[in-house]
Amino acid sequence: MPNIAVFIEQRDGALKKVAWQMMSEARRLVDAAGGEVWGVFLGTDAGEASGLAARYGADKVFTLTGDAFATYNSELWGTALAKFCKAQAPQLLLVGSTAMGKDLGPKVSAKLGCACVSDAVGLKLDGGLEVRRPVFAGKCFTDVTVNGDQAVVGIRPNAFVLEEKAAAGAVEAFDPGLDGVDAKAVVKSVEASAGGRVELTEAEIIVSGGRGIKGPENYVLIEKLADALGAAAGASRAVVDAGWVDYSHQVGQTGKTVGPNLYIAAGISGAIQHLAGMSSSKCIVAINKDANAPIFKVADYGVVADLFDVVPALTDEVGKIRG
Amino acid sequence: MKIAVVVKQVPDSETRINLAGPAPELDQSGFTRILNPYDAYAVEEAVKIKEAGGEVEVTAITIGPDTVKETIKKDCLAVGCDKAVIITDPALDKADDNAQATVLAAALQRDQFDLILLGIKAIDDDSGQVGILLAEKLGLPHVGFITKLDLGEGNLTAEREIEGGKEVVETSLPAVLTCQKGLNEPRLPSLPNIMKAGMKPQETLTCADLGVEVPANLVDIKMYSPPPARGECKLVEADDPAAAARELARLLNEEAKVI
Ligand SMILES: Cc1cc2nc3c(=O)[nH]c(=O)nc-3n(C[C@H](O)[C@H](O)[C@H](O)COP(=O)(O)OP(=O)(O)OC[C@H]3O[C@@H](n4cnc5c(N)ncnc54)[C@H](O)[C@@H]3O)c2cc1C
Ligand SMILES: Nc1ncnc2c1ncn2[C@@H]1O[C@H](COP(=O)(O)O)[C@@H](O)[C@H]1O
Repeated sequence: MPNIAVFIEQRDGALKKVAWQMMSEARRLVDAAGGEVWGVFLGTDAGEASGLAARYGADKVFTLTGDAFATYNSELWGTALAKFCKAQAPQLLLVGSTAMGKDLGPKVSAKLGCACVSDAVGLKLDGGLEVRRPVFAGKCFTDVTVNGDQAVVGIRPNAFVLEEKAAAGAVEAFDPGLDGVDAKAVVKSVEASAGGRVELTEAEIIVSGGRGIKGPENYVLIEKLADALGAAAGASRAVVDAGWVDYSHQVGQTGKTVGPNLYIAAGISGAIQHLAGMSSSKCIVAINKDANAPIFKVADYGVVADLFDVVPALTDEVGKIRG
Repeated sequence: MKIAVVVKQVPDSETRINLAGPAPELDQSGFTRILNPYDAYAVEEAVKIKEAGGEVEVTAITIGPDTVKETIKKDCLAVGCDKAVIITDPALDKADDNAQATVLAAALQRDQFDLILLGIKAIDDDSGQVGILLAEKLGLPHVGFITKLDLGEGNLTAEREIEGGKEVVETSLPAVLTCQKGLNEPRLPSLPNIMKAGMKPQETLTCADLGVEVPANLVDIKMYSPPPARGECKLVEADDPAAAARELARLLNEEAKVI
């Protein structure tokens, strides 16, 4: 009977949605295979997290609180999670494939000497564990099997459907005992970037601009549509390399791999490296004045027209719909 | 100061993968191979540190088949690395991240490196784990996704990308760092330097030479499959852009139900 532990990520108290997506999937797996779903919270105040965990199907919520968990430190948090996994022995620890989760997952697995699979989009538990994940930035998928009786799996945000399913959510404090553990690296400061928009890998909607926007001054068209949609703003590498926007916006094989519900590509030709990073998006819209642009091969909806006309008009229309 | 750059050869990003259906193996023999693009940032950073002065030696270390030699020569030695260690062993053909990190750790432990630089992920397996696993095996601090590096006396300060911003992290040397775009602009090798690179020391080793046993895989690939097929593209036809935008918004709202 597998017990699945789900890492509930927070930064400065803000909880990450991917935790509840993972919990919903863990609940579905456990309802079929038996076992329990556990939330694992590291932070200072577990109140909100415990409530939400119960709503999304956690039988138990283990809370690791204290000064060590006020701000993220990979060594301390990794050690704490590894100690938790040793003591409570869940078969599976799920972490979101976020900046924090990508740092933490492999670290915990190394401390446990168990497998770590990153960026998964599917889990199967019958007898053993089978994990589905994209490789080559989504040009191909693999199903991998995991050996050993414990594993850490990183889950891509938006891979699993959120589903409310109330469970006991019994809160239990866990003390990992971190006295004497060397923090090794220390975060001196955190700087927020301007904009305050949702981040690409977590966004449900992304609006990306390519070389077709012609200059840095026009990226604001992309941002305005993104804001109207509550979306993240992305870019092709051409736009990033030209210095029009920061690299953190780049989508593609050497940028972010994304899979939102809606991806709008404006003035992007659809080079293979760009397609690799976004072709698993659920709905793709292409706005391009060249009807032969390869982006139309992956698009669900296409508009062959000048983006300088269509993007502002679409921004207005979205405003009307979303009020 | 001794710097190791741990780099991988991967299929070119232009590579098309044509799988008709699920298959237990992916034939990669015809793929053109390049240095993993993220690893180029690791190489460039090491070379920049060397050029800044002082006694610095840069060693490129890789696991790969015999064909990696060309990539190592052109993209590591010809741009400023001093020497290369190439681990070639059929026992590593299907090695998972943990097994590769174990072997790389053994190779790194033969020397006293102050700084170990890798890419954030390899663009073939998209795993993004080897740097972290390596740091754990060596018992060293790890800072990932760095976009800026300042070396001090026995310590370093790095900036790393996180969602919606960046963290400034400080740690002691030796340390393991994973590098990405933003850190620097990798240079291209010149033809004369490629010619001269052939003269630089290159050591080819097996796992037996390193005295390391390859651990059993923790993760095995069972099946490769093509991505789900996408439907036809519906072109929005309209008399003018405003009407097209209106129709597109309607379709996204009522048909696709995504806005
Ligand atoms: C190793 C490597 C890694 C790479 N990684 C990435 C990556 O991660 N991400 C990435 O994006 N690229 C990547 N690339 C680059 C990729 O090959 C392309 O060069 C890049 O994606 C092109 O960007 P683009 O579509 O914006 O520009 P272009 O290809 O120049 O396309 C511009 C498009 O805009 C259209 N257009 C122009 N004006 C208008 C207008 N007024 N209205 C509407 N449409 C208009 C044009 O018809 C054209 O289709 C990589 C390349 C290499 C070699
Ligand atoms: N076979 C290998 N040989 C040398 N370095 C590797 C190898 N595999 C991965 N790496 C390094 O580890 C980084 C992350 O790779 P991965 O964890 O496979 O995505 C790469 O950018 C390389 O720097």
